[in-house]
Amino acid sequence: MKRLVIGIVAVAAMTLSLAACSGTTNTASGGKPTVTLWVDTPRVPQAKAYQKLMAGKQNIKIEVISQADAQTKIALHNRTKSGWPDVIFGSAPDTAQFLDPSNGFAADLTKLVSKKIFDGFGAANSDCKFDGKYYCLKNDLANTVLWYNTKVFKELNLTVPKTMDEFAATALKLRGTGYSAGAIGDQNYYASFLQPSGCPLAAMPKKNTVRIAPSDPKCTRVAELVQPLLDAGVVDKRSNFDAGFIKDVAQKDKVAMTFGPSWFGDFVIKPAASWGVPAGEIAAANMPAWGSKPDNMSGAWGGGVFTVSAHAKFPQAAADAAVWMTTSDAMATADTTPTFPAYGPANKLWEKRISADPYYASNPYPAMAAGANNISQVDRPVRFAFNAQIGSALQVDINSGKSLEAALNSFADSLQKLAPSSGYTVISK
Amino acid sequence: MIAPYLALLIAFGVVPIIVAAVTSMEPSALNPGGGPLNYLQALQDFRFLPALGNVGVFLLLYVPTMLIVVAGMSLLLDTVRGRWNVSLRLAYIVPASLTGASAVLVWYFLLEPTLSPYQDILRALGITQGGQIWRSENLAWIFALMAFFTGAGNWIVVQYGSLQSISEDILEAARIDGANAWQIGWHIKLPLIQKYIVYMGILVFAAGLQVFVEPQLISSSVYPGLAANWSLNQLSYSFAFQSNNLGGAAALSLMLLIVCIVGAVFVIFRTDFFEGSGVKEK
Repeated sequence: MKRLVIGIVAVAAMTLSLAACSGTTNTASGGKPTVTLWVDTPRVPQAKAYQKLMAGKQNIKIEVISQADAQTKIALHNRTKSGWPDVIFGSAPDTAQFLDPSNGFAADLTKLVSKKIFDGFGAANSDCKFDGKYYCLKNDLANTVLWYNTKVFKELNLTVPKTMDEFAATALKLRGTGYSAGAIGDQNYYASFLQPSGCPLAAMPKKNTVRIAPSDPKCTRVAELVQPLLDAGVVDKRSNFDAGFIKDVAQKDKVAMTFGPSWFGDFVIKPAASWGVPAGEIAAANMPAWGSKPDNMSGAWGGGVFTVSAHAKFPQAAADAAVWMTTSDAMATADTTPTFPAYGPANKLWEKRISADPYYASNPYPAMAAGANNISQVDRPVRFAFNAQIGSALQVDINSGKSLEAALNSFADSLQKLAPSSGYTVISK
Repeated sequence: MIAPYLALLIAFGVVPIIVAAVTSMEPSALNPGGGPLNYLQALQDFRFLPALGNVGVFLLLYVPTMLIVVAGMSLLLDTVRGRWNVSLRLAYIVPASLTGASAVLVWYFLLEPTLSPYQDILRALGITQGGQIWRSENLAWIFALMAFFTGAGNWIVVQYGSLQSISEDILEAARIDGANAWQIGWHIKLPLIQKYIVYMGILVFAAGLQVFVEPQLISSSVYPGLAANWSLNQLSYSFAFQSNNLGGAAALSLMLLIVCIVGAVFVIFRTDFFEGSGVKEK
């Protein structure tokens, strides 16, 4: 027994001295802060550029994570109360979760980041503003636009729709031609139809209160407009990524027009392995308006954010890293991050690049930029799994051929049941 | 003798259960006071009953298929002697090397009408679109199929091993009495390996009850959310990491554990699982 006690004391003493050692190391490098960045694969070149830039001044550590795991990993580190990153890449709903007192990971950036930077973002950083304070910085915007095929439009003598009624009329003209007005059986139905319409599915009239009201006229008008198109077969109930849709429609160059986020052109329509639409055909137009201003918003499908840890040892260095990741020129020009930068000045550089891309029939940038400053703010980032429910309720029902009204109702119903478990009061009217 | 096992049991069995029991009392946004209400709330979640139904159907398909096919195939394997036997045993194990993510991918390609090497067969069955396959009502069948092919091979070889434990004298006696291969298999071999089949049943049931990887991966690929919260384990995961409700997650996990233990105890006491050599004396 005595030996055991001595043993335990010895081990404890050794652990303490080791801890003291590492403490000394930290103090020694006190002048050289360490900042750990957790980023997904596309963000790695950006992070490496920052690491190189800061070499000798700061110790930048990079860890690659999947964006989908951001909440899980932070929740686990909240349990162990250590090992958090200083900066993490994720989505705005992740930040909504992180800033909740029960999580406590997200740092308030309002004072750590200069006003000049926030001004540079303009409205683009609105997803990161919670209760008047900024808790993240937006990396890129993924607002929706109308992608259309100029060759098909010319062939069928169509004009680019400016209102949703014109969109429906144009789509109906495709009946019997073999052309499609796009696929809605994925997040597209939310991002390109429900959200721009202002359908309140995650509206926040006040803190911790969420309004999920599928019977709102701004919701019902969407199904009223799109259901006839679906019934006429000019809008596809499959996903834009469905192998059958890609083979039967998209790769045969039969998509006359489709709503889609700003990344659709480079990542869905253009690549040969995806839709493979030939060069010189595709252009982007402004989102058709549901009504007169302000009823002319766009939606968003994606768009990442950088959140800074409230546990960071070097809060300013961590915030500076997040600022650099979202605002530097590298952000706009790196080969692997060519999505629409949220930060104005970086966006200017990116504009040069996409405007000069000979793939597009005309410069898609103006439409992207118009929508970027006009994303509907009715729904806000929430703590519950809103996007996951789009997949498991809305998409599943649309794919299986249920009516759009029924699909929306079951989606909204699942949200209403989910929200209270994240501490929200639900308003359903 | 038992110390190494006991140490592992305590470290990776008993301690996690105690931690889970303590965690299951933690407060959440839904239950700010914490306590046993977490158990009730886990059962009352709107996703619980559908998940229970899904896993129930999955188990009904998966467990009996495994038991019947594995027993049958291992008996057949036992009748093959010589060189072929070794190659066959290897062949049975090969599908089991495809587990988790890779199995899901392989099955996605096999079942997706646009990409499948069996397009013609699928078309003959009237299946031309992925949406005809990947829909909620088919998922239990698809996951049972995946789980069966990744699990059956291993168990066939294990049960073949248990067949080797049967004394040659007994089989010889049966043959002298005029029993044919079928009669020997049905009346002699199968009853003698009964306890190993029961053992397999318990493990297959426990694994099936905890199905997680297949639905989780299908939900994060081409059909995002298709099988989200499809199984009870996924629901537990969502409690923990989407709703910040580790109490509810632990409560649900513990209830699953109780079901497994009760099921196992029931099966053990209804059979001669712990009795001697396994040869029943009449």
